[in-house]
Amino acid sequence: MNWTRALRTKASEQLTWDDLLPSEQPVYVSSLVYSLGVLTLSSFVIVVASGVIMASKGALWYQTSSLGDFFRSIHFWSVQAFFFAMTMHLVAQFFMGGWREGRAFTWILGALLFGLSVVEAFTGYLSRGDFFSQWNQVQSKDAFNGAGVDGFLNVLNNGQIYGIHIAVLPLILLLFVGWHVLEVRRKGVVPPYQAKVSK
Amino acid sequence: MKKAHFSRDTLRFPQKDFDMVKEGTISLGIVAVVVLGLAAAFGAPYRPAITNQQIAQSNPVLFAQTAMGDLDGTGAMAQYGPPYNNGFHGQPPQSTQSIAGFSPETWWGTPYPLNTAQDDVLQPLTMLAKASNNANLLSAVQQYEAAPFSQQMKWDQNMEKALTKATAQGGQLVLPTGDYGPVSTLISAEVSLGQSGLFSGALNRETNQGVYRYNVQNDLLFLQGATLHKIAGQLNMKGEQWGINHDEQAYPGPWWLTPYTFLYQIPPWSVSSAGDEMAAYTVAILFLLLILVPFIPGLNKVSRILPVHRLIWRDWYKHLEQTGACSTCPFKEGCAKEFRDATAAVAASQNGEVPGCYRPLSHPLPSPTTVASHTV
Ligand code: HEM
Repeated sequence: MNWTRALRTKASEQLTWDDLLPSEQPVYVSSLVYSLGVLTLSSFVIVVASGVIMASKGALWYQTSSLGDFFRSIHFWSVQAFFFAMTMHLVAQFFMGGWREGRAFTWILGALLFGLSVVEAFTGYLSRGDFFSQWNQVQSKDAFNGAGVDGFLNVLNNGQIYGIHIAVLPLILLLFVGWHVLEVRRKGVVPPYQAKVSK
Repeated sequence: MKKAHFSRDTLRFPQKDFDMVKEGTISLGIVAVVVLGLAAAFGAPYRPAITNQQIAQSNPVLFAQTAMGDLDGTGAMAQYGPPYNNGFHGQPPQSTQSIAGFSPETWWGTPYPLNTAQDDVLQPLTMLAKASNNANLLSAVQQYEAAPFSQQMKWDQNMEKALTKATAQGGQLVLPTGDYGPVSTLISAEVSLGQSGLFSGALNRETNQGVYRYNVQNDLLFLQGATLHKIAGQLNMKGEQWGINHDEQAYPGPWWLTPYTFLYQIPPWSVSSAGDEMAAYTVAILFLLLILVPFIPGLNKVSRILPVHRLIWRDWYKHLEQTGACSTCPFKEGCAKEFRDATAAVAASQNGEVPGCYRPLSHPLPSPTTVASHTV
């Protein structure tokens, strides 16, 4: 089998431009609930953008200068918006049964995104470099150690935590977000539950 | 080979105009305005970190007590166990968590070594003695190290007792007279080192192999016990106060940790000595359930039974009613079950029949995906 040809065939069948950038949607797509995923994505964009700016100037900048503090505030509030939108999105997808008819993997990717985002946010809190970071570091060490994660992670090692926060998890999140959205586009928006058949 | 499987393809529903790029742009704009507004109006919480120097200056007795606990092995970190050490002086580790013998904490040995007597007291003081040509301090360190363990313990216990009565005057420890051997020299030098601010430098040097880098382990672990707990308690930040769930100021905190922090409020998690380990694995199991929702019988039907989706898709259901799509549908019966389980529907679709809620196929479907069916 030619892997390249197989991939091309599959991609061109399942990811047409019409699927990727649709200018039409089924009529049942008529609710603000559908904007929750998009709002999650928008907040994620701002989280990443403010984070990249902070990382490029370094910790002293965002901890001591007023412009740095402003970007730290943007990062802080966009994370709140991100988690708010994502949690609503999760709840909505649960009530819509968004995993039906071949969309289980979309749900699984979403759930993984939720879990990874929680860890990402935690490493962010540890990178704040203030009392809150200190306290969470010494408190959480017992939990990470107790769970057996100590073989991989030393939460008191700021270098490791910071690297995970600005590179390791963001790359995985970006990959999974892209994949999640591709899966949604590939399958199309999940149809509603059947109507009650009135006799 | 393509199975003739009844696929409820989204392209076969009636379509309406939709502008995805516009929606995305508007959404990004709204979030940007809201976030920038909140950031400009409220900023973000920040409380400067606590340093060893501050504690040595503001509370020399507490600082000295911490150092003594590290020296004589009564401190929590001295006896912690893996991943830092194997307990103090042959005694078993005190902070190893275990659920019925399951103790992954111990699997990796001691990758982040910490010998509190050496690392927190004797080594920094040796550096201080050398740096300041202090022969008196150097010989006190040597005298302590050369003494038998029982003698060390005697001095240490006397000092521990004295520290419960000690006071601080002008930042200096004032101790009752007693038999402390070299320990009184050590402890007062330790307090001075802390007050100078160089103590953190000495500790950071240890955990970064001599170079100033990013690992603050020893510096922070010196503060981790009574010191930080006291400050955190004043801020309502302790575990039993919902700890990390809220920020330490009037800002929204990481509220998404609620299912996790909740466990620390109720038994058995709140009372077990392996509470952290239990909480971690409880959350892991809950997370696995979330991932597997589509496959868990019962759980994956909850949303079908609860009528919330009627509200979300109310326009659609109204549309079906108004057009009478369902009353004329050939799948009226099967549709009451899940579509793709309805064998009658599969058979009928092979006869070219189309569900009432599909649009009439007057024009061909735009992509070949309609034939491919994806079964999960
Ligand atoms: C980084 C976080 C996430 C982003 C950026 C994201 C983004 C999106 C977007 C843009 C859509 C399409 C629009 C919509 O239906 O809202 C979508 C659909 C979907 N999401 Fe997410 N999502 C995230 C997390 C989650 C989570 C936590 C879950 C659930 C566990 C989830 C489950 C789903 C499902 C099942 C669909 C398909 C809905 C359908 O076919 O109609 N997503 N997501």
